[in-house]
Amino acid sequence: MHGDSAPDEAMGDKGKGDKDSRLRVMVVDDHPIWRDAVARDLEDEGFEVVATADGVGSAGRRAAAVTPDVVLMDMQLPDGSGTEATAAVLEVSPQTRILVLSASGERDDVLEAVKAGASGYLVKSASRDELVAAVRATAAGQAVFTPGLAGLVLGEYRRMSQEPEPSPAAPKLTERETEVLRLVAKGLSAKQIAKRLSLSHRTVENHVQATLRKLQLGNRVELTRYVIENGLDAD
Amino acid sequence: MTVASRWERLLRGPRVSAAGADIRSVQTRDTEAGRLARDVDADPVTPLWRGAQILRLLSYLYSLGFQIAVNPDLDHRATAWTLFGVLTLWTLVSGVGYFVGFARNWYWVGTEVILVCALMLSTSVVADRDWAWNNQTWPTTLWATNAVVSVAILSGPVGGIIAGLIVGGTSTFVKGHLNLNFGRNATIIVIVVTGMAVGLAALQARRNHEKLAAAARIAARAEERERLAREVHDGVLQVLALITRRGREIGGPTAELAALAAEQELQLRRMISDTGDVDAPAPDADGAAETDLAAVLRALAADRVSVSSPAGPVMVSAHIASEIRAAVVNALDNTRHHAGPGARAYVLVEDLADDVVVSVRDDGSGIPEGRLAEAAAQGRLGVAASIVGRIESLGGTAVLDTEPGGGTEWEFTVPRGGRRG
Repeated sequence: MHGDSAPDEAMGDKGKGDKDSRLRVMVVDDHPIWRDAVARDLEDEGFEVVATADGVGSAGRRAAAVTPDVVLMDMQLPDGSGTEATAAVLEVSPQTRILVLSASGERDDVLEAVKAGASGYLVKSASRDELVAAVRATAAGQAVFTPGLAGLVLGEYRRMSQEPEPSPAAPKLTERETEVLRLVAKGLSAKQIAKRLSLSHRTVENHVQATLRKLQLGNRVELTRYVIENGLDAD
Repeated sequence: MTVASRWERLLRGPRVSAAGADIRSVQTRDTEAGRLARDVDADPVTPLWRGAQILRLLSYLYSLGFQIAVNPDLDHRATAWTLFGVLTLWTLVSGVGYFVGFARNWYWVGTEVILVCALMLSTSVVADRDWAWNNQTWPTTLWATNAVVSVAILSGPVGGIIAGLIVGGTSTFVKGHLNLNFGRNATIIVIVVTGMAVGLAALQARRNHEKLAAAARIAARAEERERLAREVHDGVLQVLALITRRGREIGGPTAELAALAAEQELQLRRMISDTGDVDAPAPDADGAAETDLAAVLRALAADRVSVSSPAGPVMVSAHIASEIRAAVVNALDNTRHHAGPGARAYVLVEDLADDVVVSVRDDGSGIPEGRLAEAAAQGRLGVAASIVGRIESLGGTAVLDTEPGGGTEWEFTVPRGGRRG
């Protein structure tokens, strides 16, 4: 829920100085200038950067070895997409949380990465404070939404509901979830949404998370259904 | 340049279509689409030229047989054989020329028509009037048809018909009378129809080729754009994003630099992701151009303006798109002028099947209570009135929501017009 809002004070006591609870982060990006700058920023803020990777293959291998708490994921890698890397990391380290950091506005790619299990998205030009807050929120299990991602997710639910023959597995949003997601897409912070809808901050966070979780679950059901209908054979 | 491509250039001959010239400018890379564009660039009527040379060979053998059979009956046998030698030489040279390509132009084709007519006219030199009356024109009308076929392939059905009339007319002239009994002698009709049919085939081949070339050109452009996007993403965008971040952290004059970098990053990102979407509206079934409203509005994104939309296109008529865009631009201008320094604006595009909903919200100072009513009373509701007017003219509604300190929010709901069932 950060994107453009201020860092989450509730999470501010974690991290810095406390060796035992230092968050273990892995940075996946093929651009060395960017990778090193982000890693340095995170270490300055008290995170432990346990690994860096520059592609899908190395991301999978290193995640298996270090099981990071959070992975910062670039969308375009030399040997594949961030979506593939997200799936590869989650396969070997399911408890890891993925935060997509993308420089360009690859809308379809971001949506696919989120469906594959990434729990948030931030643009690369976000400030250092925003980045740090987003990593903390991701580690705490929150969904990190920019207005842009909310627009994409909202659009995806609408697209699924408008299909001529909607799949029975297609996830649907409750009215309240749609309402919350629209407000996120219009740039309101969790606090502002809570105030406007007379909800608790926590409830708003839960609604936002639910929209992602259902989308990811729907994606898995859809995949399973596809496999059942079409078989597992390579041909 | 490889030997193969040198030959390909040779075979292609001097004919270069406008589309071909265009393709060359984008096929600088050895991409799949580039190769396709290059293949398409070859002469579209090459198969016709090659097929016609088989006809030329067969008709030559036929006229050789005819020559051997009738030569004893001719008046000037030596002259006839000499002329047949010229015919043989021409058949060989022009056949090779048309087959590989260097003869596919008016110099050669024109020469062929003149030569064929001259050889037919020579009938009156090598044979007497009686022979000409009772036989087909020397050196056979079948061989003469080659000239008509060449003209037809080079220039199309009209040229084919004209050449057919010239060759058929020469044959008639040699015989010394016009036989209007086409039931008995259909030579001229057969020649003219052949010219027309081959010409139509050549015309169709060229038209298909143009369409294919256009498709290949579009594919090559898209591929080139993707390649550019990858390279820009790998380098420039990353560095600009980094400058933006660091610059904002350092603050002061460097923050201005960061703002410039952010603006450029956005422009570049937009250029490589949306080019083509906005430029080329696809006509719908009614022939009215449709535009992706999401792409149109994404083009308004800036450092302090975020635009959220579905991943896919939101298609509306070009008119609806341009009116909504104008309303959004007005609302954003208002934000810039009245929402206070540092205010950010958020545009959201939603696709609700029958309607499209566009929201423009800012987190600025909002409009103080009574301010709107006061402005209305003073007749100064210009911008708001023009926004409402635009949206209502589309059959939609525009709702303004504001509270002091809570920013302002416009919500436009516009029916999709043509698509509304």
